[in-house]
Amino acid sequence: MSSSAKVHRESRWPRSRVGRRLGITSRAGLALVVGLLFLFPLYVAWVTSLDTAAHVFTVPPHLVPDFDFNAYRRVWHMARWLMYLGNSAFITTATLAIALSSSVLSAYAFSFLRFKGSNAVFMGILVVLMIPAEALLIPNYVILQVFHLLNTYWAQILPYGASVFGVFLLRQSFLSLPNSYWEAAKLDGASHLRFLWSVALPLAKPALFTIGLYIFIGCWNAFQWPLIVTTSHSVQPIEVAVSRLMMAHSVDWRRLSAAGIMTTFPLVIAFFILQRHIVRGISRGEGLQE
Amino acid sequence: MQARIAESDRAARVREGVQRKPRRFGDGWRAALFLLPTLVFALVFVYAPAAMSLVLGFYHYHFMGVGTTFAGLSDFRSALTYPIFWLALEHTLIYALYMVPLTLAGAVAIAVLIDGKSRLYSTIRTLVLLPYITPVIATSIGWLWMFNPQYGILNTVLHWLHLPPSQWLLSSTMAMPSVVLYSLWHGLGFNVVIVLSTLSGIPRPVWEAAAVDGATGCQRFFRVTLPLISPTLFFLAVVTTIGSLQAFSQIYALSGGTGGPEYATTTLLLLIYQTAFQYFHFSYAAAMAMLLVLLILILTFIQNWLSKRWVFYQ
Repeated sequence: MSSSAKVHRESRWPRSRVGRRLGITSRAGLALVVGLLFLFPLYVAWVTSLDTAAHVFTVPPHLVPDFDFNAYRRVWHMARWLMYLGNSAFITTATLAIALSSSVLSAYAFSFLRFKGSNAVFMGILVVLMIPAEALLIPNYVILQVFHLLNTYWAQILPYGASVFGVFLLRQSFLSLPNSYWEAAKLDGASHLRFLWSVALPLAKPALFTIGLYIFIGCWNAFQWPLIVTTSHSVQPIEVAVSRLMMAHSVDWRRLSAAGIMTTFPLVIAFFILQRHIVRGISRGEGLQE
Repeated sequence: MQARIAESDRAARVREGVQRKPRRFGDGWRAALFLLPTLVFALVFVYAPAAMSLVLGFYHYHFMGVGTTFAGLSDFRSALTYPIFWLALEHTLIYALYMVPLTLAGAVAIAVLIDGKSRLYSTIRTLVLLPYITPVIATSIGWLWMFNPQYGILNTVLHWLHLPPSQWLLSSTMAMPSVVLYSLWHGLGFNVVIVLSTLSGIPRPVWEAAAVDGATGCQRFFRVTLPLISPTLFFLAVVTTIGSLQAFSQIYALSGGTGGPEYATTTLLLLIYQTAFQYFHFSYAAAMAMLLVLLILILTFIQNWLSKRWVFYQ
């Protein structure tokens, strides 16, 4: 058989209509299995949290929920969850506010203000991306100690006050606005801040959402830094509280699962509501590769 | 008419004002004000600590600030002669060696599988991305339970498949692969979404041309798709490498904060954390951190060199 004939035959895959339908169905089936595999660990935790005591330690594992809410009731009284939740919310909100405003202002300066050394300063900021976070762990702890900021909310907020990723992405977004917009606004007597607020920012909404999303995920799920810089419970985020519960009650699977589900659930709900935007926002984060 | 005159009058005045401004300085002061927040944060929490990290390893820094003495290379010497340091280095590299190829291959496989406009595929994309936004500590609880050698679902599955059961996190050989399994579950979705967005950017005619030329599905994938997405794969390889060197929460949670059993999941970052913040040997930990940074630089260099050989830039 000549090689060209072989290639030709294979290129007509799938050949028959039945074959094509079979191909589509098996691909969809395989995809569905993959999707469910990713959901499964959350499902296991959910079922375990709702099990009755008799159904936890069983072989094979019990995979139908009993809807016994006792574990939740008991775990609720084991820690001040609302306080930890409030801490997480405050730290995340403050970081978002500070990091977003600082990067918006810098990105604006790089795109609409003319000044000497603009490129040099921009490069200087991009250098931050090349400094590995591991190098900063210990010196940043020392710096916070010098400022007497250990064990405060600020210790968990200020180190993330500058977002180089944010400056970069917003600058790209601002640069896509024609300079004539600013010229026109200037003729109407608008100041830079006014133009930034009323024209530039609304047009940069997608970039703002992407940056906010990455900051939110990083901040809400932060664990290592809060673990290092806080010791008093009153300023700790919920992740640290859950980890403490894990170390203390390592065999009470129902209560642990309940705590895990309790902290994951709000995020899952928010994710499903915003999923379209989140997928688009994460894809945009790829903009950093150039 | 009058309005137009007023308009042009104002325009002229503005133009005049612009001309009177010394052009040479431009918006210098305003720019400085706009840049101030970012620069202050970067200075205090990035540049200064980065500079400090270069010298911290050479000094004995006492936790309560009682005094700082020059130590020279002694901390580096003790790090390099500490067997656990080498073990942790090995585990860090092994973890990255698991994570990078598995993440890239898994992401491309899943992305190609669910690349399509149908509702089913976009739902599955959502499910695959879901773990990425969940908190690591909270979701590792469910995995700890699944890894349980006696009652966990994973050993039940192995039993169904007539395979021998595993001790998972309790075995020194399986503990690291178990952490890798969790990390893949948690992070793969991000990579899938990025690959999907690159795939959707490839113009259809490219594939059609390949099909007309008689390329099989396999050939199309290896000769057309893969080269076209190789810049994205390189980006993901770099991001995954950096991420796996920074892996901490999952290792902490799945090993109960110990890096065990028998140091099996002790990576450099965990060792640095324990040395600095559990035993308060700051300069010793700083010396190890510098060695880790050196490792990162070497890896970045290697990756850049490799990228010139196999990344196809349009």
